[in-house]
Amino acid sequence: MSTLYLLKIDLKKMRHYRTFWIICGLYFFMLVTATASGMEFLKWLARTIEGFGQNININRIPLYHFPDIWQNLAWSSGLLKMGIAIMVVVSVTNEYTYRTLRQNIIDGLSREQFLMSKVLTNVLLSFTSMVLVFLIAVVTGLIYSPQFDYPYGFTGVGFYPAYCLEVFAFLSFALMLGMLVQRSGLTIILLLNSYLIELIIKENIDEYVPQLIKFFPLESIMNLVPLPFARYAFQEIRDYVTWESVLIALAWATLFNYFAYLKLKKSDI
Amino acid sequence: MNVETVLSIQGLTKHFGKLCAVNQLNLEVKRGQVFGMLGPNGSGKTTTLGMLMGVTNPTSGSFTWFGQTPTHLMRQKIGAVLEHPIFYPYLTGQQNLELNAMIKGATAQQIDRVLDVVELLPRRHDKYRTYSLGMKQRLAIASALLNDPIVLILDEPTNGLDPMGIAEIRELIKKIAADGKTIILASHLLDEVQKVCTHFAVLKRGNLMHVGPVDDVGKGEETVEVAAYHDDVADVLRKFPGTAGIKRENQHYLVTLHDGFHSAEINRYLFEHGIVAAHLQTKKKSLEKQFLEILAENSEPIH
Repeated sequence: MSTLYLLKIDLKKMRHYRTFWIICGLYFFMLVTATASGMEFLKWLARTIEGFGQNININRIPLYHFPDIWQNLAWSSGLLKMGIAIMVVVSVTNEYTYRTLRQNIIDGLSREQFLMSKVLTNVLLSFTSMVLVFLIAVVTGLIYSPQFDYPYGFTGVGFYPAYCLEVFAFLSFALMLGMLVQRSGLTIILLLNSYLIELIIKENIDEYVPQLIKFFPLESIMNLVPLPFARYAFQEIRDYVTWESVLIALAWATLFNYFAYLKLKKSDI
Repeated sequence: MNVETVLSIQGLTKHFGKLCAVNQLNLEVKRGQVFGMLGPNGSGKTTTLGMLMGVTNPTSGSFTWFGQTPTHLMRQKIGAVLEHPIFYPYLTGQQNLELNAMIKGATAQQIDRVLDVVELLPRRHDKYRTYSLGMKQRLAIASALLNDPIVLILDEPTNGLDPMGIAEIRELIKKIAADGKTIILASHLLDEVQKVCTHFAVLKRGNLMHVGPVDDVGKGEETVEVAAYHDDVADVLRKFPGTAGIKRENQHYLVTLHDGFHSAEINRYLFEHGIVAAHLQTKKKSLEKQFLEILAENSEPIH
């Protein structure tokens, strides 16, 4: 079976599933509104925090100016990936609660093909997110940006493939967790808590082996697109994608899917 | 390997922790057989079928379909309903079958045909979760018939159905068997197996206790029901050289005969001793009786 065919099988399951459209709709709606409302957010900050507007003129902050906009939007959109991860969890745990995974195998799908169909959907969701955020960046950039200088205006576009990998790696984590736990509620709670769990571990080893921090799974995923806003407080930021961060995140994405594969291979379903 | 052998199982074993669900199972199913797998609940029927369909990993042993090592591609040509029907509840019957046709590599045109066979055409566009149990079972059979399978595996296909539903499914199985398909049917309903199966195997706590043709049931020693209005009947019957045992039941005597003796000889013997039988009937051994004998505590598994 071709990879495209496997993707079609998984999409067939989703296409008539109302929950899928609701969660995906909310997720993409949130992406659009959250990324497009940055200026409104700054105005709100200026109104609320005393002195904010005096120290910094918010209209001078080039939030939506090329080339700043690329990294700003890629980073902000990364915060919302939990929304689509919940959809992935629901999709895979449904296969366990309805026992349809079992029936899929009986009907002639191999376990590898089943997993592949889910991974391909993750690829599609990551890619769609990237394209959408890129389009929002282009549109809002053209609205707010006073000018576009070539090639300087494209500095930081490399964060879009990195953002795509960020979403994909996180969705792979969600898929693996869903397959291990097999219950949607518990998986979502674990998924939300995983950041805290990792934070506790990181904080406790930071003093002794700080060089290990960047290898932590969720840390490595967040590290693909670093926080850009510190530059508006005149701090140094990393405004380019490093190969090291890509390789670490890619390794984790591969491992997550491999663990899911091992689990599926070994268990009676 | 004989091409007529559809399924061959060698030493198939499954442990769940300490529990041995299936123990050293050896079986052969030939083309065209309607093969019944009998056994009480928990005897390993579903576990065996789960292994044959690739969802349960065997602890040891092996099996071949059509003489070849099993792959997922073979499963596309085997229609199976294990335990209860499984579908996506939020999809309609039609959409569920479209999905399964994609997985099995069947054409969409077949959907109309299989829905017609199970008489679900009028409800095809309703969501699966609105179906009654009987309709769900029928949809499962329809799905199993997609891709024109060579073998059909049905696990308790009449479970939870009302008498009318049971009769419907039974007719359906007979209809499918008449097409020359090989059917493997797991059930604890003995009557059902005797009515539709050609061969049967009996499992008990994971061990194979018996395997053979259904027609053989009732062969061997005969039991004859005798009634006569005469005081000496019991004595005469006891003296009859073919009598292995005699038991009184209500108004009759149940005479168990040695091999080779039949009711006609009893009749003649009684007549020669001046007794006219008022009632004389050969009792065929039912599958139920044989089943209970096979399952009796003292019987030994065959390997």
